[in-house]
Amino acid sequence: MRWALGARTALKRVPLDMLTACFDRRSGMTHLLAAPAPELLAALAAGPADIALLLARMGIADADAEERAGLEAHLAALEAAGLVVRA
Amino acid sequence: MRHVFSVRVGPAGFRVGSDWRAPVAALEALYAGYPKAGIADFTVRLEAARPWRRWIRPSVTIAGDYMLPDAVPLALRHGLLAAEMGMNLQMALGARRWLLLHAASLERDGRALILTGASGSGKSTLAALLGDRGWRLMGDEFALIDLANGVLHPFPRPVSLKNAAIALFDAARLGPLLAATPKGDIRHLRPNADAIARMAEPAAPALILFPRFGHAAAERPVAPSEVFVRLTQASTNYVALGEAGFDALTRLVTTLPARAIDYPDADSAVALVERLWAAA
Amino acid sequence: MGHSDSSDGARRPLSADRRALLRLGAAGVSTVVTIRPALAQTAASVLTCEIPVPDPARAGDFIAADGSLVPTDTPGAFRPSARPFTGEEVKAALTGRSLPGVDHQRSRAYTNYIRRLQQGTSGFTCYASLQMPRA
Repeated sequence: MRWALGARTALKRVPLDMLTACFDRRSGMTHLLAAPAPELLAALAAGPADIALLLARMGIADADAEERAGLEAHLAALEAAGLVVRA
Repeated sequence: MRHVFSVRVGPAGFRVGSDWRAPVAALEALYAGYPKAGIADFTVRLEAARPWRRWIRPSVTIAGDYMLPDAVPLALRHGLLAAEMGMNLQMALGARRWLLLHAASLERDGRALILTGASGSGKSTLAALLGDRGWRLMGDEFALIDLANGVLHPFPRPVSLKNAAIALFDAARLGPLLAATPKGDIRHLRPNADAIARMAEPAAPALILFPRFGHAAAERPVAPSEVFVRLTQASTNYVALGEAGFDALTRLVTTLPARAIDYPDADSAVALVERLWAAA
Repeated sequence: MGHSDSSDGARRPLSADRRALLRLGAAGVSTVVTIRPALAQTAASVLTCEIPVPDPARAGDFIAADGSLVPTDTPGAFRPSARPFTGEEVKAALTGRSLPGVDHQRSRAYTNYIRRLQQGTSGFTCYASLQMPRA
């Protein structure tokens, strides 16, 4: 199972304090990203990746099952928002 | 439409057509001294729901470019309220030249205060009071944020006062009593002469307040992320504006200080506002 | 907190917090919230609004697995839906269930199409209004 940034996604980001306000020019919708979403999107910018590769890009070694499940859940939420797709 | 009323409020022109004379007469009295519309940006129609409803238990359907499904018609004696609600609806859903916030705004020394919050938070009454205490009332219902440069445009419609708030103001400035409407007793307060005369003068916003009536006096800062979320909830056209709305709102929340204030009564509210304004 | 790699720990002192953020995902804490049109707060019922697949203006196209529109009879692509879907049906599909009356693969293609909706396309306002829970 690999993940990738949504095709032609052009995101305009304005960091606020705890949240990043994000405008998706492709869909015209505004999303508010909380950590770790900005970091996940940055990790996917280098190209499609599965969970193991994403964790490696994020510099997280020896993630346990709960951390991997959490990462999957975050990616699914980003998919529902139209920001990432399954590749 | 047999009867027509036309008015300009700030940068927006309205045309209200009506099947009856009475609401138009009430509008002419309430908006005495306001300029005429010129070009109508927004059109409201007050219509009889069925032909016989013009005369038999007359009831008013509010129509225009935008309409709400399942809206209940109002009695003719509340026709003025129907016209005001119609103008609010067309503005809320149709405005594309400004980012609209459900907020009151007031100007002093060329800078503007934004008071935003849910219905019932007391912002209209507070704005009306401040308008009589050294502030120019720019509006109580909608704050108009310029999409290009972020300034506030005045939109000084009559202030809709409910129930107990009515007694706080001089009857000479009030429209007719609309008793037992779906929103309770209502009277409209005319903005004072200065607010009407200067309705074409914008002002740069300087402070955002989230007022809450009916609590012990208190205040706290509000972080930009929270301001952003609350203002999207308080905006009727944010999503429709797309990127321009996003740019205007992010500019607003990253450049302006914001505070939430609680207050038990009008005098403590005014004191809190003055103190925070001096510090802004 | 212990670090399995001390050099990483020196460069990323917040690694423990980052792992906690991942675990929060497993606990259902959301990392993204989408702004919903205010109109949906006044409309009679958001859940009965409709989204056609595809937009009637593109009724001659098929829908590829990734949701993009492709010419009719493109191999591997799906024919348009016979009827529009309601907001309620699409909302359920966005959380993983299938759209009613279609198999899983077709449902996935349709929901990918819906996620790509842009302003001006039929169904966009309905879709956008599903994104944020009622305040």
